[in-house]
Amino acid sequence: MSGLLARRLSVPGRLEDLDFELPMGCLAAVVGPNGAGKSTLLQALAGLLPCAGEVAWQGEALARIPALDRGRRLAWVPQELRAEFGFPVREVVAMGRFAHGDDDRGVEETLDRLDLQPLAARPLTRLSGGERQRAFLARALATEAPLQLWDEPLSQLDVRHQLELLELAKSLSVAGGLVLLSVHDLRVAHCMDRVLMLDRGRLAAAGTPEEVLTPARIREVFGVRARMGETLILDLP
Amino acid sequence: MRRGAWLLLTALLLGLLVASLAVGELRLSLAQIWAGLRGTDELAHTVIWNLRLPRALVAVAVGAGLAASGVVMQALFRNPLASPDLLGVSSGGALGAVIALSFGFGAENLVAVPLCALAGAFLAVALVLMLARQGAGMERLLLSGVALATLLGAGTSFVLSLHADQFRRSIAMVFWMLGGLEDRTWEHVAMAVPGVFLGCLLLLPLGRPMDLLALGEGGAQSLGVDVKRLRWKLIALSTLLTALATAVAGLIGFVGLVVPHLLRLLVGPGHRRLLPLSMLGGASFLLACDLATRFAPGELRVGVVSAVVGGPFFLWLLRRRP
Repeated sequence: MSGLLARRLSVPGRLEDLDFELPMGCLAAVVGPNGAGKSTLLQALAGLLPCAGEVAWQGEALARIPALDRGRRLAWVPQELRAEFGFPVREVVAMGRFAHGDDDRGVEETLDRLDLQPLAARPLTRLSGGERQRAFLARALATEAPLQLWDEPLSQLDVRHQLELLELAKSLSVAGGLVLLSVHDLRVAHCMDRVLMLDRGRLAAAGTPEEVLTPARIREVFGVRARMGETLILDLP
Repeated sequence: MRRGAWLLLTALLLGLLVASLAVGELRLSLAQIWAGLRGTDELAHTVIWNLRLPRALVAVAVGAGLAASGVVMQALFRNPLASPDLLGVSSGGALGAVIALSFGFGAENLVAVPLCALAGAFLAVALVLMLARQGAGMERLLLSGVALATLLGAGTSFVLSLHADQFRRSIAMVFWMLGGLEDRTWEHVAMAVPGVFLGCLLLLPLGRPMDLLALGEGGAQSLGVDVKRLRWKLIALSTLLTALATAVAGLIGFVGLVVPHLLRLLVGPGHRRLLPLSMLGGASFLLACDLATRFAPGELRVGVVSAVVGGPFFLWLLRRRP
């Protein structure tokens, strides 16, 4: 079943004519150099930007899905995390249940899963960058939405929480969800089911990691020399 | 703490209401107030029904409205330092009122000045929204509001300077701009109270979506909030509340800033609690400020008191922010 579908997706000045499809039950990465349009793509797919072309979630045109319904079907984690107000972590996570009538279901379990129980009562304003990132990821997970879009979820996490989050993402996809995340580390992208590579607002390649992350293409898009050892190895040219 | 805050603020409001009926040139005892309310003591009846009760009700409406409007602006602009007059509501109101006063309205006509203030406030916001072309981002809206407020302020000063040689008229304008509650009548009550009550009532169910909005528009939208619609509702309601408050009481600063801030310290940032408690707290704050003016010599204005109390208090709050 189709999870996310983009047809001639364009955002004026930032993305041009993107065509791709990601199935459910898939863990996928968006990669690309700075300014290639990774965040823009995730926002467009989440319905947060005015864009041309077509986006469909699980076979239904995004434009036809009502606001509240969207909250149950897709979760998006921004790259820039706001913390002007000191909501306690538990309340932030509980906000994930807004579209479910604020039923607070699964909030405690989600706090456990992201190792946030010890911080549950702490205000957002008094968290470190990585802790805040985990709080917003937990809010997205609490929605129980089958489609999860995470914008650079690993950027501020320590190595243990990075590995735990990737494992969590994997388990969500194995359970039938679709997780699409943007990453900078191509070695991480290499472990995913699918990879979308963006280059200056265009889709340079889409497919399995083996198809997309070839030494030639990495060199062309990123200007970095790559080779395959036991895993993908990168050198400066 | 949370239930305590409800009890505390309700008790405070009731206590201040009674005090504002009791205190003044003629001091009334509780028994006299009761007799006055029922009409068995003629003097007390006159003082309460003609002077103190309408004045207290106007204070409650203005305080509650300004505080609620402050909470809304702070969530909308995701800035705990935002205040109700960000979109030019008060400056528009001031210009409207000053123009009305410059034509000699005021003394003989109890309604013309508030109505002109109301018109000015709504026109100012409409203009800001037009300039910012709603939807083009909150930053532009904010900057348009600030720019227009400056322009309207200049207009007010201009009208004021035209009447510099007419002492009575210009003093009426200055006093209006300093904010005041004395001599408020049932006409003022009729103008402010139903609208403020309705606005507050319509705001209450928006508490939860406001929580989400306060943590980012994109996040709120992705969680199922119709952000565009919510923004419209919030702007409309906050404009209504601030415009009504300005129309009947002139410019009163700091209520919308200090009250939500203090209550956030007590009950946290969740708007489902913060909104109703700020309404109670704002009403109490303004009643207290109005009471203070009755003890002061001369004609101390309530807007002056709210700023004198609010300013230092706010600085203290800022200093203790983590």
